[in-house]
Amino acid sequence: MRNWVFLIVALIVAAAVFTAALLLRNDYYLFAGYVVLQYVVLATAWNILGGYCGYVNFGSAAFFAIGAYTTVALHKLGANPGRYLSDTPFEALGALFPLSLPTMIVLGAVISGAVGFAMGYLTLRLRGVFFAIATLAMAVVLQTVVINWDFVGGSRGAYIIGPQSITLGPVSLTNIQYLFLLMVLLVVFALWIARSIERSRMGLGFATIRDDEAAAEASGVPTLRLKLAATALSGALMGMAGAPLPYYIGYVEPAAAFGLPYAVNAIAMPMIGGTTSWAGPLIGAILLGTLQQVATVTISSVANLLIVGALLVAFVIAAPVGVVGLMQEFLRVAAPGRLNFRSVAVILIASYCFIVGILDIIFDLPALQAAFQLPLPQIVNSSAFWIGVSGILVSGLYMVSAYGLLKLQRWAPRIAVLALIVSIAGSAALMWLSPEPQKVGLRFAMIVIPLLAVVCLGNREVKKLYQSQPGPQSGSRPVPA
Amino acid sequence: MTADLLLNAIVAGLLLGGFYAAVTVGVSISFGMLDVVNIAHPAFIIVGSYIAYIVNSTFGLDPILTAIIVLPAFYLLGQAVYQVFYLSFEKRGEEALRGLAFFFGLLFITEVVLILVFGVDYRYVHATYIGPTWRIGFVDFPLRMLVPCLVSLVLVAGLQLYLSRTFIGRAIMAVAQDQQALRLLSVDPIRIKRIAFGISIATAALAGAFLIVIQPVEPSVGREYIGRVFAICVLGGMGSLPGTVIAAMLLGIIESFTATFYGPSWAPAVAFGFLLVTLAVRPAGLLGR
Repeated sequence: MRNWVFLIVALIVAAAVFTAALLLRNDYYLFAGYVVLQYVVLATAWNILGGYCGYVNFGSAAFFAIGAYTTVALHKLGANPGRYLSDTPFEALGALFPLSLPTMIVLGAVISGAVGFAMGYLTLRLRGVFFAIATLAMAVVLQTVVINWDFVGGSRGAYIIGPQSITLGPVSLTNIQYLFLLMVLLVVFALWIARSIERSRMGLGFATIRDDEAAAEASGVPTLRLKLAATALSGALMGMAGAPLPYYIGYVEPAAAFGLPYAVNAIAMPMIGGTTSWAGPLIGAILLGTLQQVATVTISSVANLLIVGALLVAFVIAAPVGVVGLMQEFLRVAAPGRLNFRSVAVILIASYCFIVGILDIIFDLPALQAAFQLPLPQIVNSSAFWIGVSGILVSGLYMVSAYGLLKLQRWAPRIAVLALIVSIAGSAALMWLSPEPQKVGLRFAMIVIPLLAVVCLGNREVKKLYQSQPGPQSGSRPVPA
Repeated sequence: MTADLLLNAIVAGLLLGGFYAAVTVGVSISFGMLDVVNIAHPAFIIVGSYIAYIVNSTFGLDPILTAIIVLPAFYLLGQAVYQVFYLSFEKRGEEALRGLAFFFGLLFITEVVLILVFGVDYRYVHATYIGPTWRIGFVDFPLRMLVPCLVSLVLVAGLQLYLSRTFIGRAIMAVAQDQQALRLLSVDPIRIKRIAFGISIATAALAGAFLIVIQPVEPSVGREYIGRVFAICVLGGMGSLPGTVIAAMLLGIIESFTATFYGPSWAPAVAFGFLLVTLAVRPAGLLGR
């Protein structure tokens, strides 16, 4: 697909997403969707430097906050340009204010891109590790600067009152609809940039840096220049993601804008999705972002960060190629040439197992949390404890089977069938014990889908796929003859 | 600027620097000697603080004594962490990017678990030396700074002796330079690295006890120390213990000056600015090779 075709397709998808979100007529989905989309931009931005070049940035939150605070500063200037700009050399600029949000996004991108460039210039000539540590350091320096900078509110934070509605030509959008629209467009822009880089000379240069920097340098790749371009670009996109934040939450304070969740998610999402292509951060961000929106409702936001952290560690150890990489490797073996029915079925089953496994954890943690509120001897006797523990065991079984299915392990179908049957029994029991009418459809689906999956795994073709594989000790890709 | 203020700031900085030396010595071993970028080191320190807090609040035991008792447990924990790191990253030769993400995840998980279990309240310990201050002339020596500083200097000196005098210590110094040469002496470099990493995490138990003696601790305090420890480690010349002590004292003095003359809210930025300048100007450090 050519780049402009990709852009058009992406814009059409974006328009569809936006229309669908409007049709839901519930602002909650817009608020939740905005956060997920913001993480897509952040993850894609991180991946340009982290995935393509192999330089880890722990300071994503700082770049994000630069974008947010640019908006805060510009908003404050715009509210009263006469007061802040008169008698300064910038007096003439007062006529430009107040700025529109898209302009602020561009300015936020320019500033955080410049900071990224400066950062890179200071540290990128050293080994990659130093760059990673320096980004951690930079986040704290910038946070201290903002805390001590009264104009943007200091440690007290700043209130930003956005407009109630925005008129774009014939249509009038509420504030959150407008922000959602901007974020969808930013996602398209970020994905388009990432994909164009991947297929360009620059992308090749990035890949050589990631694989062997010394060799790249020796064969004449301008490594420093490429790395600086990557940091500036990645920083600018992160600033873009952060720029609309003040209008979204209405109150910005340093601890929240520089919060660890942004830094962790920016790393975890591409790592879990897969770092080699633009699709990885997209999938990772949608998966983890949606998950966190669900988890924030069912359990505390701290606990959902725990899940993200645990997933990050599990993926870097067990599946460093991420979800996209796992599927690619699976397809390379199971369906060389073109897609066939059995491989698609297995991928669907594995995805189902993975998602249900994670959701199970999210719904079981509250039970465990409730159990641990009790005094010590009662914990073991409480039903909440056993529901929590058994639920987590089942979800562990699910995750292991999803992993095994994609890794083509011999034992995988048996474990998967076990997990599916246990959960069918569980759902049936729940349906019988607490027949809540609004949940019948969901419970019914939780019985029918696993049943279908069990039937699929019993299929002769699928069985053959797993029986022809070597044992667990050399479970990865078999060497082509 | 009066002379007594200046002298007090210098002494406070030196005492703080002694404590920083204990915090950094673990990273000097793991990052400087073994090339394992353990950015989760501060998390282990915070775990040490919380263990000292639990034991102190239930049994009333001295925090530093507690740390010395749990040293073996931290040593084993360090060995286990290194084994996981070795099997999943070093052996496959992918330690650069994924290893960093692994330690970042560890740091993060530890912090979140501590928040879930203990909440975000500040915790503190009781000991006889927290509170009183010795005065010599017009210079203050708060005991809660002096005791950690002295114990920490003993710790670093002991480690330096161990590394330069014993066979395993010398092997640890050598593993950084040439693994093959160690193999020729029929020493398993992985075993040596495991031992060294265990020692590095064991020092975190002590550093954690010092931390909670010096200031109240809550789970996210550790993050402030990431920049500090790496700034000191790099400036000290990556794996040179005397260099670490000198750099720690230097950073302590600079921070104490900033806090005295500009206000404590700028102090965190100093350490990190310091690191950025070090990386940009002299990445080899003060006593670097």
